[in-house]
Amino acid sequence: MDRRIVITGIGVVTPIGIGCEMFWNNLLAGQSGIAPVQSFDTSEYNVHRGAEVKEFNAEDYILNLDAAHLGRASQFAIAAARLALADAGVEIGSLDRKRAGVSMGTTSGEPREVERFDDAYVSKQLDRIGPEFIQLYPCHVIAAHVASELQFAGVNTMIPTACAAGNYAIAHALDVMRAGRADLMLAGGSDAFSRITFTGFARLGAVAPEICQPFDRFRKGMIPGEGAGVLVLEPLDRARRRGARIYAEVAGYGLSCDAHHMTAAHPEGAGAERAMRQALADSRTNCEDVSYISAHGTGTATNDRLETIAVKRLFKDEAYRIPISSIKSMLGHTMGAASAIEAAVCALAVFSNRIPPTINLNDPDPECDLDYVANSARELPVNIAMNNAYAFGGNNASLILRKRELLN
Amino acid sequence: MIGNRVVITGAGVISPLGDSPARLHDSLGRGLSAIKPIKLFSTEGLGCPLGGEIADFDATKYLGQRNLRPLDRTSRLVASAAQLALADSGWSIEMRNVQEIGLVLGTMFCSLHTISEFDRRALEAGPAYASPMDFSNTVINAAAGQTAIAHNLRDVNTTISTGVTSGLEAISYATELIRSGRARALLAGGADELCFESFYGFDRAGLLCRSNVTAGDFPIPFDSRRNGSALGEGAALLMLEDVALARERGAKILGEVVGHGSSYDCSRGQDSVQAVEAIASAIRHAMSDAFLLPHEIDCLSASANGSRGGDQHEAEGVVAGLNGQTQKLPVTAIKSMLGETLGASGPMQAVSLLETMRDGVLPGIPQLHQVEDDFPLTMARSKNQEADVINGLINSIGFDGHCCSLILSRGEEN
Repeated sequence: MDRRIVITGIGVVTPIGIGCEMFWNNLLAGQSGIAPVQSFDTSEYNVHRGAEVKEFNAEDYILNLDAAHLGRASQFAIAAARLALADAGVEIGSLDRKRAGVSMGTTSGEPREVERFDDAYVSKQLDRIGPEFIQLYPCHVIAAHVASELQFAGVNTMIPTACAAGNYAIAHALDVMRAGRADLMLAGGSDAFSRITFTGFARLGAVAPEICQPFDRFRKGMIPGEGAGVLVLEPLDRARRRGARIYAEVAGYGLSCDAHHMTAAHPEGAGAERAMRQALADSRTNCEDVSYISAHGTGTATNDRLETIAVKRLFKDEAYRIPISSIKSMLGHTMGAASAIEAAVCALAVFSNRIPPTINLNDPDPECDLDYVANSARELPVNIAMNNAYAFGGNNASLILRKRELLN
Repeated sequence: MIGNRVVITGAGVISPLGDSPARLHDSLGRGLSAIKPIKLFSTEGLGCPLGGEIADFDATKYLGQRNLRPLDRTSRLVASAAQLALADSGWSIEMRNVQEIGLVLGTMFCSLHTISEFDRRALEAGPAYASPMDFSNTVINAAAGQTAIAHNLRDVNTTISTGVTSGLEAISYATELIRSGRARALLAGGADELCFESFYGFDRAGLLCRSNVTAGDFPIPFDSRRNGSALGEGAALLMLEDVALARERGAKILGEVVGHGSSYDCSRGQDSVQAVEAIASAIRHAMSDAFLLPHEIDCLSASANGSRGGDQHEAEGVVAGLNGQTQKLPVTAIKSMLGETLGASGPMQAVSLLETMRDGVLPGIPQLHQVEDDFPLTMARSKNQEADVINGLINSIGFDGHCCSLILSRGEEN
């Protein structure tokens, strides 16, 4: 089996559009999905904005399971999976279902189930909570529901490495396929807008009051969001045989741990640098060959500064040449889905030679002095894209996507 | 199996039946049960009052007098087991500065208690009173992150959450990383804590044994009287290394991971045919990965935990997966004594199996009196069995569709 693994389908559910085409067009146009939070009452908070998915109708995508009895993150994940398979032109019936698998990431699983439990607990009405709590809450149900909906009986994994989970899940799918354990993998991440997450980031003082402005001198923080991103991965030979459109090769990845602090990144970006370095080595890529970096770029004071330091540590002078953008300026931080959606963006960038902007970047921070593709999309040859993601727990993950024309 | 060979050079375990592989094995061999009335929280009004609680767990015993305040119960269990596994395998702090070590942790919930408590505090006192420190522990990768900080584990740090199979999946994931040369030394295993929130959920879902008999009598895997599992808690980690590294540093080799396999039952246990086939499929994948034939498997450490459907599916799935060659296969099910420890369960079985390989004692299933009539596993016994185990099969089977099998082989020095 071919050990070169390619992306043949993309499915996204995001605050700026559902489905690859609408999302990509809005992203290149610099559209923001940030608005007042509608999921719950924020009047007791000092911040009130989020990036929620609007006009999402689960029944449009969930054909076999009972959509009304699934958590929102599962609904997003199934929708993104169906969109990705349709985008890839994969006929589900043509697959060997025992060799079709799912690898997903998440931060919170199905947080609304535990929030419902907590509401009942504090109002002393716990008897309202029935068997559905344990059936719907644990995070693995997201991957399980995707597989049950599509009848995929192969490898089924959930990697809940918080805000870097999507990259971890894609990296794992790559390993599963490189080892010949599957013919096709759906890989990505999903998270639903969560009161717990919103409360936590608000208490950390990390939530911006109005907009998300990564790398700007006056940036005020991140904006919590929600969504899902799922990629279809196949071996190159299989994709070619069925004449599939190939977005990009998943060329390699690197993982590392800061082992420094639960919520603050290493002060010199050491862990982030190690992950990037390993990703380059794994994909046999040189610094000079990297055409684009999709930043973690949350918009918090620390993240953007340390991420810049880490990129400079690894890329040295090359760092100033490489365009870097943060789509979190538009989407907010979609948590476990973020790096999966960003991997989709990297795939689209190498496929179409266009890169999305970092919006709201008007007054560059002197400490963030690289090229962040301020405010307008750019057209240029994109051969190799690097996707960076960092998480609580010091979990760092970098992914390398390569242009199909570079495959022989 | 392709790539570097993966050997086990140490183990750490925190369980209600002992905090070392030898003590756990001794307790299991004596048929001791961890399943007792729960003290951690009130079980008033719940159907099942019993669980496998680590009653006297004190992390300072393992981690010393450092600041443990940021670590919740799950993180303390994992950091303690990691300390024991690192010590057992001889990876000193100095050596870890030269060779980076990573951690792959399987956990179903990490800490549902921390998550829920954080949220409830915000509900009761207002969001301004929610604790930022607790928030950092609400992520499901918190215990892996905290343990990395406690022991300076800077290589790969991944959390796997697939329910009951989490821990065995973590060992499989780590095995692949070492085989492919991506990592050389990884702690791999799993953990879950006993807490009110998850206990309540399992109880309400009717998954726990409901008995009015004396403490310690239930659950009974494979028995005709079984009526549910009991929840337990703990942490178990193996030190996995590329064989060249282990030999180079002269480490003792306890055993080898020779094969793993996974599959998913799309019916989530609702359709018996699919459920059995998924279990068989995971076993077959593990067998072919290990280049082993059914008659070369010397014992089975079953996932069976006393659940009505789950145990039946496993009994049939094992026979199908091993092509019917199970008449002489000794079987144990240590969840009869530890309860269902979720993410910790597979790694607990692995620790126990390594001990069986060492001394030839396969623990019995203490309360087992009458194996369900149509169960084809003939060598499930209430008493310990003598077993000369070179290759042992471990199953993990989730409540809702996940199946994972792992094959360990005996270490070289035996």
